[in-house]
Amino acid sequence: MTTPMLSVSGLRAAYGPVQVLFDVDFDVEPGSVTTLIGANGAGKTTIMKSIAGLVAPAAGEISFEGRDITQAASHDRVDAGLCLIPEGRLVFPGMTVEQNLRLGAIAPAARAGHSEMLAEVFRRFPRLEERRGQQAGLMSGGEQQMLALGRGLMARPRLILMDEPTLGLAPVMVKQVFETIEELRATGFTILLAEQNAKVALELADRAYLLENGRVALSGSGAELLDSPDVRRAYLGM
Amino acid sequence: MDTLLSGQLLFAALVSGSLYALVALGLNLVYGTLRLLNIAHGDLVMIGAYTAFWMISLFAIPPILSLFIAAALCALLGWAVYAGLFRRMLAKPELAKRVEANSLILFYGISVILQNLAALAFTSTSRGYQYLDTVITWQGISMTGNRLLSLGVAASVCFGALLFLRFHLFGWGLRAVIQRREAAQVVGVNLNRVQLLTICGGFAVAGVAGVLVSMTEQITPFMGFPFTIVAFVVIIIGGLGNIGAGVLAGFCLGLVETYGIALTSPGYRSILIYGLFVGVLLVRPEGIFTKAVRS
Repeated sequence: MTTPMLSVSGLRAAYGPVQVLFDVDFDVEPGSVTTLIGANGAGKTTIMKSIAGLVAPAAGEISFEGRDITQAASHDRVDAGLCLIPEGRLVFPGMTVEQNLRLGAIAPAARAGHSEMLAEVFRRFPRLEERRGQQAGLMSGGEQQMLALGRGLMARPRLILMDEPTLGLAPVMVKQVFETIEELRATGFTILLAEQNAKVALELADRAYLLENGRVALSGSGAELLDSPDVRRAYLGM
Repeated sequence: MDTLLSGQLLFAALVSGSLYALVALGLNLVYGTLRLLNIAHGDLVMIGAYTAFWMISLFAIPPILSLFIAAALCALLGWAVYAGLFRRMLAKPELAKRVEANSLILFYGISVILQNLAALAFTSTSRGYQYLDTVITWQGISMTGNRLLSLGVAASVCFGALLFLRFHLFGWGLRAVIQRREAAQVVGVNLNRVQLLTICGGFAVAGVAGVLVSMTEQITPFMGFPFTIVAFVVIIIGGLGNIGAGVLAGFCLGLVETYGIALTSPGYRSILIYGLFVGVLLVRPEGIFTKAVRS
């Protein structure tokens, strides 16, 4: 039994009077791809933001590599080794690709090795190197997603949180995003993925959680959820 | 025509332009990173001016040293305002949404308090002192030492700030916060530290501007408001939150004002400034330099 890399227990969150998460529990094992699936509004993004420190939970505990980070500031979490690739990419539109990547390594732990890391990101995504001088706001959605992921990698994370990485992308780009996730897992990264594209996400997942109305409705391996009649009916249209 | 082409007029335009740029710089930094509309910004100029006046009158400390004292004093005030009023408001998303509108009212209150405290403590008598007021003539341009110093200090602080934003990693983080606050947090920018240092820096710059103003103009408790207005005009011309464009717009306003008055009469000063302001709002409400100077 290994200790989980990330452990979320009893997580509750609310926006004003509206509660959106009700005692959510789940773990992410090191080296795995863990997937959260669920409809729009099920609470996937709120979970991601709570883990990254952008939303303060009302109750519950989040621990990363055995350390309680529930109250830690967002920049301390990046420094500790977890990084969010946010929904909607959120690149810095007025800066160039290279400046965006440089900002990705602003956390103290990532500063020293930023030029090696830049070379590494360019090796992974040659397209970003071709476009290094381009303003990020002028790039296509797929390229911005690549940039957002590259920027995240610059922080040298061990755990990558990817929130709806395929949202609004062309099918060919969707395929590429999933291939990239597999490559990242193969090179030792741990990934927590929130995805509406349930079928592909479950095929990829080592472990998966189905969220409904802010609660974990079902959990198991990716294959188990793919076989579940409920999931097949509600999310896969079968 | 001769006067228009003279270096004399250009010098006058640069002196006032650099001062406008400097006053607007602080306001723009604070607005850009914290989304706070600081109506009391001009009153920090007033505090800087009084600091210089009392330092030279009581302790014979020359304004060139008071620059540092005023900067420190205003930075301290910035820290107090941030820690006391805004830190908690900005941390809570539901309050942070309204902070822009609320800050206008809060700072208006702070402005009234500062002005009246100054009136109470120093009376509303105009003050002034003499410093470096001998005339230097160079290439047919007559300049007083204090105006030359004012131009030198204001321009260096403005361009120093721009270089810092461009080349220092902290400056990068600051620009990231201006462009996309949430994305800046995602990459690991220490938001709290950026906000605190920006408000201290923005306030300090206003204090420095106050010392420069005090060398050539009368000091009263109510001298700040016109600076607040000019600073708002400048940052709207340049584009809110766009630091480099704001500095450029400050110099432009100085040129338009000085040459406009030379072509017409001093009575047209307000018409020129507000005319430019309204014109920009009509034609390019996002600011005239938003594209060109975007860094």
